[in-house]
Amino acid sequence: MAIELPGMVSFLLSMTTLALIYALLALGLNVHYGYTGLLNFGHVAFFAAGAYTAAIVTIPPPGTVSGGADYAIGLGVPMPFGVVISLGASALVGGILALLIGLTSVRLGNHYLAIATFALAGIFEEFIRNEAWLTRGVIGLNNVPKPGRSALGADLWGLVYMLFAAALVVGTYLVIERLMGAPFGRLLKGIREDEQAARMLGKSTSQVKLKSFAIGGAIAGIAGAVYAHYIGSVVAGQFIPLVTFLVWVAVLLGGLASNRGVILGAFVLIAFREVTRFLPEIEGYPTLVPSLRFAVIGLLLVLVIRFKPEGLLGNPDELVTTGDDT
Amino acid sequence: MVLDLISQFAQVLVFGLINGSVIAVGAVGLTLSYGVTRFINFAYGEFLTYGAFLAFLVATVGGAPVYVATIVAMAGVGVLGVVIARIFFKPIRERGPLPLLITSIGVAFLLRNLMRGVAGTDPQSLPVPLIRPISIGGVQISPVGIAVFVVSMLAMGAIHLLLTRTMLGRKMRATSGNRQLARVSGIDTDSVIRRTWFVASAAGGLAGVLLAVQFPPFRPITGWRFLLVVFAATILGGIGKPYGAMAGALIVGLAMSLGSFYVSGSYTLAYAFAILVAVLLVRPEGIAGGEI
Repeated sequence: MAIELPGMVSFLLSMTTLALIYALLALGLNVHYGYTGLLNFGHVAFFAAGAYTAAIVTIPPPGTVSGGADYAIGLGVPMPFGVVISLGASALVGGILALLIGLTSVRLGNHYLAIATFALAGIFEEFIRNEAWLTRGVIGLNNVPKPGRSALGADLWGLVYMLFAAALVVGTYLVIERLMGAPFGRLLKGIREDEQAARMLGKSTSQVKLKSFAIGGAIAGIAGAVYAHYIGSVVAGQFIPLVTFLVWVAVLLGGLASNRGVILGAFVLIAFREVTRFLPEIEGYPTLVPSLRFAVIGLLLVLVIRFKPEGLLGNPDELVTTGDDT
Repeated sequence: MVLDLISQFAQVLVFGLINGSVIAVGAVGLTLSYGVTRFINFAYGEFLTYGAFLAFLVATVGGAPVYVATIVAMAGVGVLGVVIARIFFKPIRERGPLPLLITSIGVAFLLRNLMRGVAGTDPQSLPVPLIRPISIGGVQISPVGIAVFVVSMLAMGAIHLLLTRTMLGRKMRATSGNRQLARVSGIDTDSVIRRTWFVASAAGGLAGVLLAVQFPPFRPITGWRFLLVVFAATILGGIGKPYGAMAGALIVGLAMSLGSFYVSGSYTLAYAFAILVAVLLVRPEGIAGGEI
């Protein structure tokens, strides 16, 4: 199978952009799990919240678009500079949602937190699917503006947007590195290692965990906005538990509490997923190869935990040890 | 008018009870395995899926009656559970519950996608005969629903007898209470864990068949979706506590039935979890894992 060079280039560009979006998600989850030891199995909810916020902030007001645009709210913030407002709003909403979910569950033991976040993300997915007045459910909001695309043209825009996403990843990376090197970061790790001890030292661990939750949620919210403006539409079917799972694999593969590691993990994972799309189909079994691709990702997770629990770039001394209590 | 409302309410309750009885089988199985292995098994939903598909295979390709297919499915999934535990969970058993929990998510993903690859994504249903519902005082009950309820009650009874009247049950409770102590008392805890895996997975297989019978059709993702509901029931009852899981399942089943009828039909999971989150908020400490 021959791919033309321009096609190849645009494939690589879009793969890189997707990987950068997953890198943002992974950086967010790394704050939760890698640094603080919080088992967040509902990461996709923050991603979705960010994506829908970006969409609702930037789509044209309802009634101005012909052809069944029957959503209730569209603020129509003008592009391309409105994207700053859109990203800010998405971070805010992602962070607030994380805070709300955190309020219900950070006091819980780790196992309960895992289930509570998993469940709340499930409910959030149901909400997106059902509240069609706001989200248009399974039809989706399909006119999310792509900032600058009409001025730059499709090809150049693809490159520029990739660079924009890369700049965001670098910026987020620097902020997190700075934050985690500060006393706050050490406190998060302290909670991860021994919450009792942190509490004995007079730290309000619930409050700190909530902050960690909100920070990671805000980063996932930004990822959602980048995604929404890149794809140009948000649909209920995009925000399924699979996303959470892939981000987890990226974090565990890359290395706990290693920000460079989780970015690498996201790239490896997305490269695997996108490249294996081109595997030929086996006659008579249309679902076999596509499913095996994902089965391999599941197996990869199992193997990493068993043989390289610190991940590719993680520090073996920093293995998350919480959860020994129930 | 009032009579209509009452019979309507009774109808919703009956649906809730049957729904709850399906959840109960899965919740008891999950909670049993937690009691002995001490980690939350996210791959448990796949046992339901494999149960349904195995029964489907035996009943359609093999041409066996559904009850025979059910027994084969339970045995098959029981063995599958033991094999999975040996390959994936036993080697990292000493590393604490967190690696086990995360591994179970990978295992779930692996199993689900293997099934999807082989079976495809088309919806399937078990060859259960369509029987006209019988009407009792204005309440419609399908004989299939009654059968599901009865099978579930029998399974609950069997697990109760297992735990209280058999040597294995006593060993399971001892192992759950304190594994080290059980071992120095001469209990072969490895064997107990293995058998618990068999019982818990077989219960999952049965729950999958009941789910497929009561709420057809099913797909490779059915068990994973239902896992949320099973979790809700398990936690509600206090994880690791079989009788709690039965009660939790009943409450969740009724909540889902009442909620989707009287509040809004588009949400189903939300009712189960509204209750769950409420309970977690009120007594986060009171539902910590217990002994079997």
